[in-house]
Amino acid sequence: MENIVLYTVILAPLLGAFTLPIFGRISPKLRDIAALLYVAAALVCAAVYVAFSLPYGFSFGFLADALAVFMAVAATSVAVFIVIYSWGYINGHEHQNEYYFMVVLFIGAMMGLVFSTNLILIYTFWEISALCCWRLIGFYREELTIVRANKAFIVTVLGALIMLVGFVGIYGEYGTFDMMEMKGKTLPLWIVVLILFGILSKSATFPLHSWLPDAGVAPSPVTSLLHAAVLVKIGVYAYARLFVITFDISKAFTVALPVIAAVSALVSAGAAMTAKDIKRVIAYSTISQLAFILLGLSCGTETGFVGGLLYILAHSVAKGGLFLCAGIVEHSLHTKDLDKMGGLWRRFPLTAVAFALCAFSVMGIPPFSGFFAKYLVIEGIIDAGHPIIGAVFIAGAVMTVMYLTRVFALVFLGKESGYHPEAREGSTVMIGSVMALGVIALILGILIFLPGGLVSAVTEVI
Amino acid sequence: MEVLINAIPYLFIAVPIVILIINNLLPASVTDKYGVRGGMILAVTNFAAAAVEFILLAASGKNEVRFSIFWDYTEKISSNNGAYINAAYFRVNLITLFLMACIGIVMFASNLVAEETVTKKRGSYLNAIITLTLGMNGMLIVTDLFSLYVFLEIVGISSFVLISIFKTQKGLEGAFKYLAMSSFATILILFGLSFLFMTNGSLTYESLKSLTIKPNGNGGAFLSYIALAALTAGFAIKAGAAPFHSWLPDAHQSADTSISILLSGIVIKIAGIYGLIVLTDLFSEVYAIRLSLAVIGVFTIMFGALLAMRQKHFKRICAYSSVSQMGYILLGLSAGSKLGLIGALYHIFSHAVFKSTLFANAAALHERLHTLEIDEMGGLGNAMPTTSFSSIVAFLSTAGIPPFSGFWSKLLIVLALWGSGAKVLGGAALIISIFTAAYFLRLQKKVFFGVTNEKWRTVREVGGSILAGEVVLTAFTIIGGVAFPLVLLLLSGIGLM
Repeated sequence: MENIVLYTVILAPLLGAFTLPIFGRISPKLRDIAALLYVAAALVCAAVYVAFSLPYGFSFGFLADALAVFMAVAATSVAVFIVIYSWGYINGHEHQNEYYFMVVLFIGAMMGLVFSTNLILIYTFWEISALCCWRLIGFYREELTIVRANKAFIVTVLGALIMLVGFVGIYGEYGTFDMMEMKGKTLPLWIVVLILFGILSKSATFPLHSWLPDAGVAPSPVTSLLHAAVLVKIGVYAYARLFVITFDISKAFTVALPVIAAVSALVSAGAAMTAKDIKRVIAYSTISQLAFILLGLSCGTETGFVGGLLYILAHSVAKGGLFLCAGIVEHSLHTKDLDKMGGLWRRFPLTAVAFALCAFSVMGIPPFSGFFAKYLVIEGIIDAGHPIIGAVFIAGAVMTVMYLTRVFALVFLGKESGYHPEAREGSTVMIGSVMALGVIALILGILIFLPGGLVSAVTEVI
Repeated sequence: MEVLINAIPYLFIAVPIVILIINNLLPASVTDKYGVRGGMILAVTNFAAAAVEFILLAASGKNEVRFSIFWDYTEKISSNNGAYINAAYFRVNLITLFLMACIGIVMFASNLVAEETVTKKRGSYLNAIITLTLGMNGMLIVTDLFSLYVFLEIVGISSFVLISIFKTQKGLEGAFKYLAMSSFATILILFGLSFLFMTNGSLTYESLKSLTIKPNGNGGAFLSYIALAALTAGFAIKAGAAPFHSWLPDAHQSADTSISILLSGIVIKIAGIYGLIVLTDLFSEVYAIRLSLAVIGVFTIMFGALLAMRQKHFKRICAYSSVSQMGYILLGLSAGSKLGLIGALYHIFSHAVFKSTLFANAAALHERLHTLEIDEMGGLGNAMPTTSFSSIVAFLSTAGIPPFSGFWSKLLIVLALWGSGAKVLGGAALIISIFTAAYFLRLQKKVFFGVTNEKWRTVREVGGSILAGEVVLTAFTIIGGVAFPLVLLLLSGIGLM
């Protein structure tokens, strides 16, 4: 029974994706519904695991432990809304069959990745996600979008190849790719460094971050998928899976990584303050927030780890919402230039509310879920004995408040720019999705014991 | 069973000869119509016979099956000094059977494409195809280096004929360049063989295997070293390894696409790599061969990939990519372990399949656009979805992206290198494959991905046998990747891993 559920989580999106182009030929509606069903099936099955007692047995290199289930729930819950939103956003474009195929395959790769216990399987799904990312970023088929898609592919695949060298190194040390057999083993420094290349490139951390803001040329639901639900979370998940749960690594990394994260947070927050493109601001904000996640996971204290995991969930929901809101605005205005916006709250009242809710969560305003996560992460690093790094991150948090307020003010407040007389609110499914995400961001904060319970199950394993 | 095992190997010689005779007995009007079908029959029998024999042989647990045609190979012949030596014999073993199956696959794909692209002189085309097959099968079944050389020349000459068969300016030029470089290679090989013969007095694999070459021995060892250097260089040129790769893109670009599939897909591997497999097997204790293969391999990967990035012609990119991929096979051989050999063989399979796919794509594009300059294309993914999809799968397999078969073969090669202590080399080989991804991303961007070029608004997907070829080959790539754990189980089941 448990095995069936596990296989459904992974295989429903992974294999189901291949049926979507066929469904699309029969009827676009059928395809849209099927796409949602596959992702929803993954969510439901992942959620079923929450109800079971943890952890579980495993078979054929897939294991549903608390961390995997947590990640699966965090990813699919946002992905469901992204698919629904896509019905409105992507409607009328060419290549919809490929779009849904790739989106669902993407989720499938994520599911496969989080439940894998084998390094080669992890690498396989890692690269499948890079492939989906490449096709999706290049969705509009214009010269620039394809250049950016190629850039994203090259950077993440290069990182992954270096990481694979690290995996081969692990094989050389211990003679196996199975992580279950290697629990608690120590890894040599050079292997950790090689694997970190993969993680940092996928999670778009400075200095391997520049592909992520550039990927903003993709359709907004895709950016949302990349930033919130799947792609960049793969890197931090791999960090937690490999270096926290499975292997022992040198204590030096509990200082080195927070320092890298601190640089990443500040650089990207600075870039977010000056960017003139609404999606670029939010993209830089993702890089900055990922640095918080990485800090929490890598600082070596349990508080920090719990904070990091909560941050993954909170950030998924809130950042997914932000991108989808930006998508509504951009879809209607046909521009991403902040200078051409202003006073849009009259035209986009519901979007503005959803944007504000999500932005509050990212800023870390209590009682939103983002607040608890941010607080725990910073407390984690201070507990670890590095108050200076903590101070840098507090500065980063202040900058987050500043640039998100700036972008909200530039888009929704102030005088109407008059550029866009016909601009109007998005379709029902789009508004519904962003409102739902905004409300979830709030609810997760008010009922913090819900995700908190899930996270404490993860930390019990360690 | 025993009868079957002993009988099947004769097919590798008999079927080509029978088809050759039939082809030349029939009037030209018939062969010009059905010549390509004959090639398909040949390909299918070659593949089926090799596959069945492989399974039977693996199940029987024997190493090899010996056979001969007009003489008794079990007979002992007295030699000059009164001792008895074994008579010459042919043999098939798991390695050569695997390669013969690959010949069958590539030959079939090539003929599927030829059905559309070769429109005249099909009878002569079939003759050349048959001698090529005979030459390759012959190389694989012989058991002494001189016979290997003879069949190598047959393969070479058939290839020249195939490249220039339509007497186009470019075809003749490419064939001439190939001829020049190839004769240089075969002179080196012949030179090396004569030296080996001087020191050893025999060129059979059996006697060479017991020959020990010590670095600081007598003059014979010196001669042997020169011989090995010449042989390695000769086969490396035949395989298209850098820096003597320059003939390969010209020859493969200028030939008809169905022939490019043959050349790139299998001929360079049998003519070049198989010779090196024999060398590394016979002289496994000579470290210098493996070292030189490793050095040549890394340079070849780099050269091929970097040059592929600058090309503007679809087939030329694929040809340079072949150069680059040969480097991985050389690296696999340089590991000198069983794992390395299996990795190299599996990469021969992967490369045979994905490179054939890419050339089939080239044929499809040429059928529809009548040009292969990638700058003139754009956004063809919309009009030709199957071609586009199969090219993406082939590209990912080339770049070593899982779950396609190219990933596994590359991984085995890297693991073998790692195991033999060449960690930096293995790591470098993996990371360099980013260049492969880079030149194929460029290709995809210019050809399939992107806004549809107005010029090609009315282009439709290619049909018929080219499409069938693309689909079949893509299926091979996907199955060879997804089902790879089963392949591993099989290999360990028959005691190869």
